[in-house]
Amino acid sequence: MSAHESSWTLRRLHAGELSAPEATRAREHVDACEACGATLRSFVDAQAAFEAEVPFERFEAGVERARARQAKASVEPATRAQWVRPLMAVAASVVVLVLARPLLETHGTADPVRPPAAGNRLKGGAGAELRIGGGVDPQRVASTEAPEALQPGERVRLGYTADAYRYVAALSVDAQGEVTPLYPESGDSLAVEPGVGQHWLPESVEFTGAGAERVVLVLTDAPVSMDALSDAARKAFDAAGRDVTRMAPLDVAGAQTQWILQKP
Amino acid sequence: MTGPTPLALKVMPPRSNEDRRAVLRELYVKYGGSVRERCRYLLKDESRAEDAMHDVFARVLVHGDSFRAEASPLTWLMKIATHHCLNQLRSEGAAWRKWFARDEAARSEGHGGAEAMETRDLVRKLLARVDAETQAAAIHYHVDGMTLEEVAAVLGRSVPTVRKRLEHFAELGGEELSVR
Repeated sequence: MSAHESSWTLRRLHAGELSAPEATRAREHVDACEACGATLRSFVDAQAAFEAEVPFERFEAGVERARARQAKASVEPATRAQWVRPLMAVAASVVVLVLARPLLETHGTADPVRPPAAGNRLKGGAGAELRIGGGVDPQRVASTEAPEALQPGERVRLGYTADAYRYVAALSVDAQGEVTPLYPESGDSLAVEPGVGQHWLPESVEFTGAGAERVVLVLTDAPVSMDALSDAARKAFDAAGRDVTRMAPLDVAGAQTQWILQKP
Repeated sequence: MTGPTPLALKVMPPRSNEDRRAVLRELYVKYGGSVRERCRYLLKDESRAEDAMHDVFARVLVHGDSFRAEASPLTWLMKIATHHCLNQLRSEGAAWRKWFARDEAARSEGHGGAEAMETRDLVRKLLARVDAETQAAAIHYHVDGMTLEEVAAVLGRSVPTVRKRLEHFAELGGEELSVR
């Protein structure tokens, strides 16, 4: 008798995920091995019990409710007073049209977007960009090397080039150390948009209040909870003597870019 | 960083209700039992587990392209389900640390006999004492029965890193949780 199949292999066999040769080998083993046979049967029984207890119609209705809830949450604006997202009651697609286009488009050669003083490239081909616009001054790309002063009415928008990374998240820390998850506002980090090149996170945001605010964008290989990211930000804030301008990179896997914005 | 790119509105054709129903039925038949087991194992409450399961499958609909690109949808689902439930417990505040240690009736994960059940219970009781990544590693290794390589792939970490985390976890639980 050969060694037992792992329970994970048997679970994948049950789900029909093994390749034909792998499935044949596993089935031959299961047929001859009482323990593995019992394990496989337990998966069959568990699925049967699930279907008996949760009819498909109930499952479908529950998933649809959850999907609607998630879709709604993904387009709802932040409620924290420090951030203002105008036109909050307008549908998301309209917000993108109204807010994002004026903020992101160039206005011809006479009014180019000012490039950053220093590049924001991360390891490999990944990169991130924080663009400022909407005020009296011309649009510009914020530098990561020095604090960027915001003028009244200016908004910011975050972009990223994922390269091989698969998830993106962003948060901010204000001068008092209050951490605000931005993208997403809760749950796990967002799957990056498919396709090469730069992608923009939805909506633009406007600050209220005054003082410094650090914005952090993180690209990772695996989903990261915003709770974990927020905890890492609080630790970095404390480690910097509670000085938001002196924070080190967050202690999380992946690549990250940070900017310091000076609110008017 | 390259220069600015004008934002174009992307028009996504909606998936028809019939298509979505077919996708959901396939998910239900192939993975429903496994995902519900994971949610029950961590949340220890039938109603909350079912809600969590709905959330996990809803993410499949929302992130359909990523899901279809996965070599093992089961792996994707179990990873998301584990992450979702652990996050849910954490988000409920300090009380979550006591959650795993409660001596409530353990829900069966379906197989493996008394010894495997004891391991699963032991793992669950120790989860609150380790960081989020070690929690996930311990669940995938000890409860799912993944190999070190499979756990490393799920977490996007190297095998030595995963081994180190699991060895730390084993120090809390003794020989039963040794890493092979």
